[in-house]
Amino acid sequence: MRSFFSKNGTLISSYFIIAIVFWLIFLIIIPQLYMLDLSFRPNLPPLLRGGPDDVHTLVHYKHFIFGSESSEDPYNYVDIGVFFNTILTAIFVTIINLSFCYPIAFYMAKVANPNSARLLIVSLIIPFWINELLRSFALRILFAGEGVINNVLISLGFIDTSINFIAMDIALYTGLTYAYILLMIFPLYNAIESLDTNQLEAAKDLGSSTIRTHWRIVIPHAKAGIASGCTMVFMLTAGALATPVVLSSPNTYWFTQLIYQWFNMNDNWSRGSAYSILLLTVSVVFVLLMMRLFKVKIGEIIR
Amino acid sequence: MRAQYVLKFFLGLYIFIFLSYLFGPLIIMSITAFNSLEFPSITPWECFSWRWFQEGKIAYDGQHLAGLSSDWRLHDGIIKSLIIGLGVVILSVPIGMAASIVLTQVHSRLRTIFYSVSIMPVLFPGVIIGISTVVLWDRIATIGGEGFIADIGRNGIFLTILGQTCFISTYCFLIFVARLQRFDQTQEEAALDLGANQTQVFFKILIPYLMPAIASSAVIAFLASFENYNTTVFSILSDQTLTTVIASKVRLGISPAISALALAIITLTIIAAIIYELLRRREDRKKKERQEKLLFEQTQDSRLTINKTKSFRIPKSIFVILLILIVGFFGFNQLVKNNLYGQECVIAAESAKKSKFSEQLKLLQENQVSQESLEGGELGGNQDYGDIFGDPNLFKDFGGFD
Repeated sequence: MRSFFSKNGTLISSYFIIAIVFWLIFLIIIPQLYMLDLSFRPNLPPLLRGGPDDVHTLVHYKHFIFGSESSEDPYNYVDIGVFFNTILTAIFVTIINLSFCYPIAFYMAKVANPNSARLLIVSLIIPFWINELLRSFALRILFAGEGVINNVLISLGFIDTSINFIAMDIALYTGLTYAYILLMIFPLYNAIESLDTNQLEAAKDLGSSTIRTHWRIVIPHAKAGIASGCTMVFMLTAGALATPVVLSSPNTYWFTQLIYQWFNMNDNWSRGSAYSILLLTVSVVFVLLMMRLFKVKIGEIIR
Repeated sequence: MRAQYVLKFFLGLYIFIFLSYLFGPLIIMSITAFNSLEFPSITPWECFSWRWFQEGKIAYDGQHLAGLSSDWRLHDGIIKSLIIGLGVVILSVPIGMAASIVLTQVHSRLRTIFYSVSIMPVLFPGVIIGISTVVLWDRIATIGGEGFIADIGRNGIFLTILGQTCFISTYCFLIFVARLQRFDQTQEEAALDLGANQTQVFFKILIPYLMPAIASSAVIAFLASFENYNTTVFSILSDQTLTTVIASKVRLGISPAISALALAIITLTIIAAIIYELLRRREDRKKKERQEKLLFEQTQDSRLTINKTKSFRIPKSIFVILLILIVGFFGFNQLVKNNLYGQECVIAAESAKKSKFSEQLKLLQENQVSQESLEGGELGGNQDYGDIFGDPNLFKDFGGFD
């Protein structure tokens, strides 16, 4: 500690310490811990907080599993259904994104000449900086009942009446795939780009088929990129709010929308916190799973 | 050989599909901003108009479909977004810088923990960061009683700045870490040997070295803050930023004014990207010229010559721009010729719609009249219908937004 002060000088050291303590303690750790605590407390009006009724309880987690006491069902099918639907859809979207982006990333990194690859990268970044809401809105224009796709299909004579893409959730899945696709491409691209092209040529000379080359050389080399891309896409998809708000059908809920409802419409902050903790748990478990599965460190996932 | 061509063809096709998946929706959305219909669409094309960029449209029932320039809520949101973005930049760049410098100084064990905690916020879903900030500060405000603490604890802009700083600092942190990895520590030691104190070393050596990282992290922080929705929607409380205004607009019903807004943002983004790319190329070229000059000076007596680049070259992209301009010009002429542009067209289309609808209404009422006259009922006030429901498209696409 003393060496730290003598190395940086008093002024700079205090700036470092203030900034880091403010960030790590006040912005990251304490809010999360307080939210965890709140999720174990009953929903009380502000004045009763800290009073005798403010005890630790599992009521919100029980509500998630068993439903409200007035309901007939033994379990809370709606919320559990939304929860698993969200997770499964997020996994599905992640896999789709991975298989969709891998060829493009490989093309940009190894096949295309550097100039056109650069152009491609710059042009890929452009849609990424446009608000997620507006991108979802663009898809909504395409998929709406009187939207472009329906009109084109009708005028070409493929269908007679318009298809309700939004009620079928096709629009939602497309939107979620669309929203975070670039977070899959760039880690993959960076990982594949660092592969020595000689290895590919050696494999080809030794008579390896294309698929085998990818399976045995490119994918093992790019595993950190794959882990990173999958983690980011899964996290963001599972925690997405903007895309479901714009594109989900009236009877489909995303888990974040449930949280939003408990929080803002029903004013039940502690239940919203409990549901947030569930979402956070899923995210953490997924990261650990990816780290274990691909045998990478957390530093390699986020760069 | 033939197999290779087939492969190439499929690869090209794949890339084409990929790019059109990425850009197609945005392009179509941009085009819908110019259609004067109330519903953003292309295929029933009514008129080419700028109305969604200007004052929008007042429907017959008085519902105001605001355009870009007349939407005060949007302007308010943009101003608040700018304030928040500025606040986030001011907080998160110094935090990221401090954390990254300290990371280089702590020991290896602590280092891993420190690094893991620092990058954790990126892995939290944005909604959770927003919620945790709000619940904590609401508690603080309650305990703090009346006064300053209660005021800031329930101030949406303040909370949003804090919530966004939580994870945007990590972005800045990562940028600084990448830059610091290439820092030559001997520079610091040299300065200390020459009698500078630590504060001077920091301001005269480290800060200038980190300047590019400071600039790029400030830009990234601002953009990330500006387009954030997930955290903001919780922490903004009763205020509105640009993204929450857009969200509430999209939820209430979709209007081409949003397309117009999107087009404005897309244009800004593209211009920024082009400027960035041009600057980068100029930098590259300067670097190359410098290197060549150096090489030339080192080998004066050899036969190397500087190959002078022409000061002004016509870039290839000019042809693409020209092509777009020509197509645009002819397309526009065609629009004007077919009377699909301008105020007259819009007025004509409106009145056509109105008359069409009122004809239908009249037909309907005639049927009603025959029924009602059988019952001896009285008829009245039907002229107003045309004004209230004059616009069939208003309700045609409504339903099932949320």
